[in-house]
Amino acid sequence: MSAPSNLARERRSVGFVPLAWRNLLANKSRLLRSSGGIGFAVLLMLMQLGFENAFFNASLEIIRLLDGDIFLQRASKYRFATKDPFPFRDLEAARGVRGVASVWPLYADWHHLFWRDPADGKTSLVRVLAFDPDQPVLSLPELDARVKDLGDLDAAVVDRRARRFLGMNPPPPAAELNGSKIKIAGSFALGPDFENDGTVVIGDRTFAKLLPGSGGGPPDVELGVVKLTPGSDPIAVQQAITAAVPAELAVLTKDQLLELERKFQADVSSAGPIFAMGTLVGFIVGMLIAYQIIYTDVAEQQPQYATMKAMGYRTRYLVQVVLEQATLSALAGWVPAVLVSILLFRIVGEVALLPLHMTVELAVVSLLLTLSMCLISAVLAVRRVISADPAEVF
Amino acid sequence: MRSALAWRILTYDKGRTALAVAGVFLAILLVFVQLGFFIAVPQGGMLLYDRTRFDLLIAATAYEYQVQPGEFPLEQLDRARAAPEVALAAPLYFGSAKWRSGEDGKAPDIFVIGVDPGARIFTVEDLNRQLAILDQANIALVDSATRPMFGPLTTGRVVDIDGDKVKIGGSYVLGTGFMGLGVILVSAENFIRLFPYRKLGQANLGLIQLKPGVDPDRAAASLRKLLGSDTRIFTRPQLEAHETAYWTTRTSVGLLFGSGLIISFIVGVMVVYQILATQVSRQLPQFATLKAVGYGDRFLGGTVIIMALLIVLAGFFPALAAAMGVYAVIREETLLPVEMSAARVAEVFLATLGMAAASAWLSMGSLRRADPADLFG
Repeated sequence: MSAPSNLARERRSVGFVPLAWRNLLANKSRLLRSSGGIGFAVLLMLMQLGFENAFFNASLEIIRLLDGDIFLQRASKYRFATKDPFPFRDLEAARGVRGVASVWPLYADWHHLFWRDPADGKTSLVRVLAFDPDQPVLSLPELDARVKDLGDLDAAVVDRRARRFLGMNPPPPAAELNGSKIKIAGSFALGPDFENDGTVVIGDRTFAKLLPGSGGGPPDVELGVVKLTPGSDPIAVQQAITAAVPAELAVLTKDQLLELERKFQADVSSAGPIFAMGTLVGFIVGMLIAYQIIYTDVAEQQPQYATMKAMGYRTRYLVQVVLEQATLSALAGWVPAVLVSILLFRIVGEVALLPLHMTVELAVVSLLLTLSMCLISAVLAVRRVISADPAEVF
Repeated sequence: MRSALAWRILTYDKGRTALAVAGVFLAILLVFVQLGFFIAVPQGGMLLYDRTRFDLLIAATAYEYQVQPGEFPLEQLDRARAAPEVALAAPLYFGSAKWRSGEDGKAPDIFVIGVDPGARIFTVEDLNRQLAILDQANIALVDSATRPMFGPLTTGRVVDIDGDKVKIGGSYVLGTGFMGLGVILVSAENFIRLFPYRKLGQANLGLIQLKPGVDPDRAAASLRKLLGSDTRIFTRPQLEAHETAYWTTRTSVGLLFGSGLIISFIVGVMVVYQILATQVSRQLPQFATLKAVGYGDRFLGGTVIIMALLIVLAGFFPALAAAMGVYAVIREETLLPVEMSAARVAEVFLATLGMAAASAWLSMGSLRRADPADLFG
C-alpha cells in the first residue's frame, strides 16, 4: 500500500475546491456583484423559459385533464378550442371494438354561450364543457364530489381561477348562461388560456337545453373519450377503432391529441421564437458578465498564480482552479435566481392566472445553461493564467 | 477634463469596453423587442379600426372588444345617418364560420366581415376599389394575411364555407390582427346567406363619418342623446383607450411582456455596473492619487457617470438599428404591426439613460473607498 501517494492525492483533491472557494470568498463585495450580475441573467432566462412553458401549458391543460386513453374527433378539427362536432351515433361503432371498456361523449362550446355575472350583470363568452354525470370524462378531483349534482337540470360547476371579471371566485350561488338561470353547485381550479377567460362545466341535459342539436335533436359530440380494458394494446385498439368508425373521424391517443394542439400553437403563435430570443439574450449577456468577472479575478490573482507556477504547480491545476471557481460563480448566481423566480412565478402566475411553475426540467435546463455560460467564459478568460510567467512576479 | 478622463479610461482597455458595449447593446435590444410586443398586441387588436375610415363608432352596450361586439338594431344607424352632422353611416357584420377547404382536410375558422359594398370605408384604396365585386352572389375577398392552412387563396377558387360554395373574388392587404387565422370580406347580403340565423336588421358595429369641420366629441354627445342608452358611441381616442386596456389588462399579455421589459432593464444595469465597478477598482490607485492632489468626490463621480453614459450611448444606436431589423422579421413572422415610432425610440432612450444613471450610482460605493492613504499601504 503506497500511503504517501494516496495522501498526496487526497491532499490534492481536498486542495482543489478550497482554493477556488477562497478565491470566491476573498472579496465579498465582488461576490455579491458577480452573483447579482450572473443571477439577473439567469433570472431573465428562467422567466423567458417559464413563460414559454406557461403559454403552451395553458392551452394543453384541459386536454391533460381528459380522462381517457383514446379520443375520437372530427378529422377536420384542427385544434381543441374550435367547435367541429360529429353525430352521437358515430360513437356506436367504437363501442363494439375489442379492448374498449367505455366510449363516453364530451360536449363543448367556445363561441356561443355567454355567462352573466350576477354581481355586475356583465355578460362574457365562456368555454363550456358538458358530459353525462354518470360518464364523467374530466379528471378533476374537486369535480368528482360535485359530479352527481350536474345531473340536475341547470346545475353547473365553475372555474375559480377564471379571469376575475367573470366573478367566479368565490362562485356565486346562481348565474345565467345565455339568459337561462343556472345553479352553481361548486367550483374547481383550472385557469384561463389565451382564448378562454373561464370555464363552466354542466351536465349533458343542460347542454342540450342551451344548445339543442339541429331539428331539436340531441346535440352533436365534440370528443369521444375511450377507455381501454386493462391489458389491451392501445395501438391495436386504436387501429381497430379507426377501421370501425366513419372516415370523417380521427382516432388519436392522448399524446397525439396533445401533439396536435402543441403543433397548432407553435405554428400560429410566435410564442416559441419570442421567448427563445429572450433566453438567448439572457445567455449571451450572462456570458459577458461571467467573462468580465472571471477575467478580472484571474488578472488580479495573476501574481499568486505565477507564484504557484514558480512553486511547481502545473498549469493544468491552475486552469482547474479557474474552472472550479467559474462553476462556483455559476451556482452563486443560479441559486438566488431560482429562488427569486419561484417567488416571481408564484406572483405573476396568480396575477396573470398562468400555469407558471418551477419544474425540475426548468431547473435542470437553466442550471445547464448557467454552467455552460460560465464555463465558456472561464475557458476564454483562462488563457491569461496559462501565460502567467513566474518571472513577472518580480 | 472629466470627459477626457472618462474617455481615456474607456479607450485604455478597448477589449473590456467593447464587451461592455456588446452587453449593453443586447440589453437595449431586448428592451426594444419586449416593448415592441407589449405595444404590438393592442395594435394587432386595433388593426381593423386603424385601417377603417370613421370618426365615431356605434356599438351595442354589451360591446366587449372588436371580436366580441354584441348586436344592435340597424334602425339606430339609420337614425344616426339622418343627423345633420353625419356624412356616412355604414354597418359592419361579424361572424365566424368553418372553412371546409383547408389543407390536410382540416377546417379552420374563418372570420367573416359583412360590409356595404357601396361605402368606401377602408383606408386601403386598393380594397375600396375592389369592393364593387362583392355585389355578386356568393363571392368573397380574402385577406392576404390569411394563414397557409386555408389552402391557396387564388382568385376564382371556389371554397366550402359551412356547406356554402363561395368564390374567391380577389385578395387585399389589410391584416388579420386578432380577428382570427383568416379573414374574408363579403357583402351584407352574402353574409346573411352564410349565416342564415343572423338578420340584416341586427348589425355588430356602425361606422360614422362626420361632415367636414364637425367636432367628433360634440357630435358623439348629440348622437348619444339621439340614440338613447341601448347603444355606445366611441370617438377614436375613446375606442383606442378601450381596446388597449382590453388587450393589456384583460389578457395576460401586458404582464408577460411588462415583466420581460423590467428584467431586461435590470440586466442592462447589471452589465454596465459590472464594467464600471471593475474599471473603478482597477483604477483605484489612480483615483486615490487624483483625490490626493485635490480632486473631489464630485469630480470622480462625474467621471464615472460620463463613463456610464459613453458606454450606453455606444450600445444604444447599434441596438436601435438592430431592433429595426428584428421588428421587420417579427412583422413578417407574426403578421403583427410592430413599428418603430419616434415615441418608442424616445422611451427606450430615456430607459437607457436610466440604466446609465442606476449603474453609475451603484458603482459610486467602490469609488468612495478610494483613499489616498491606501496608496502607501
